[in-house]
Amino acid sequence: MTSIAPLTDSRIENYLSRLAAALAGVASEQRDEIVREIRAHILDSMSGASDPPGAVDRVLRLLGTPEELANRYATESLLTRAGSSFSPWLLLRTSWRWAKLGITGTTAFFLALIGYGAALGLTVAVFVKPFMPSRVGMWVGHGNLNVGILPANPEGAHEVLGRWFVPVIAVVAFAFAVGTTHALRWLIRRRSPNPAYQMPHATVSGAAQI
Amino acid sequence: MYMASNSNGNRGQHWEAQLRKGSLEMAILASLWQSRLYGLEILRSLSEKSQLDVAEGTLYPILSRLKAEGLLQSEWVEAEAGHPRKYYWLTAPGRRRAREMAEAWQTFAASLAALVQPVLGGKR
Repeated sequence: MTSIAPLTDSRIENYLSRLAAALAGVASEQRDEIVREIRAHILDSMSGASDPPGAVDRVLRLLGTPEELANRYATESLLTRAGSSFSPWLLLRTSWRWAKLGITGTTAFFLALIGYGAALGLTVAVFVKPFMPSRVGMWVGHGNLNVGILPANPEGAHEVLGRWFVPVIAVVAFAFAVGTTHALRWLIRRRSPNPAYQMPHATVSGAAQI
Repeated sequence: MYMASNSNGNRGQHWEAQLRKGSLEMAILASLWQSRLYGLEILRSLSEKSQLDVAEGTLYPILSRLKAEGLLQSEWVEAEAGHPRKYYWLTAPGRRRAREMAEAWQTFAASLAALVQPVLGGKR
């Protein structure tokens, strides 16, 4: 190894230990592998540099903060798994992470929240209906539509589903869950190979910086 | 990220950045077509051959995903530098994917070339 001044060396070690900490969610074998590769990258980038402290500044800046870098790894790996998954929980978690990286991700997250939220709410209503038949239903009146569990009948509105509430709403809830899952998978799969990743530090004039 | 540096301003450059970004996965696979490379070599090859300046923090997570998807394989190799380096190469599915992407790219570029010809007309 080329000799690196102790101060520069400790900056690298500090970066790598923060990276390892930020990768806490990753399997330890893979985490070690990532840290090892980033260490090799830093050392290779610095080799032959006439100004090691300057060189270490530059390479760490281009990598982004350890937390950003770890987040990119986590997102790439979640997106890979989620694109072929039907698990609402995984899709929701993935879109939450993805939301931090750009507008498509944010859209996906709100879609997940609203879609799965509606499915969950309606499912709860279906299960509560047998116990509180008069409080659960679908009321229409005054141009309003209320579906779910209400403390009292909305004034002037009448319940329209009656005993059909359970089967109809169960189907609608299921349709919400399936529709949301498919829409999320579609969004995740159609993302550009490199989602809205923008390195906040690296600014380059006149040339494209990815 | 982009800095506006000419009269086209952010908007035009943003468009170009999107285009380059979309081609990044293909560029990474293509850079490995002929030989095994480690991360820094891939970065250098991309910037020398295609003027693609890829941020380090973007490349490594993508390499990791491409490997997880089975398009790349990797191996640690001891180097005279004193630390081992992680070399990547294309798997058979990776080569297939690279070829498909390159073909799609060619078709796309050729079809657009005819369209933009009149736009560039005076200049050429």
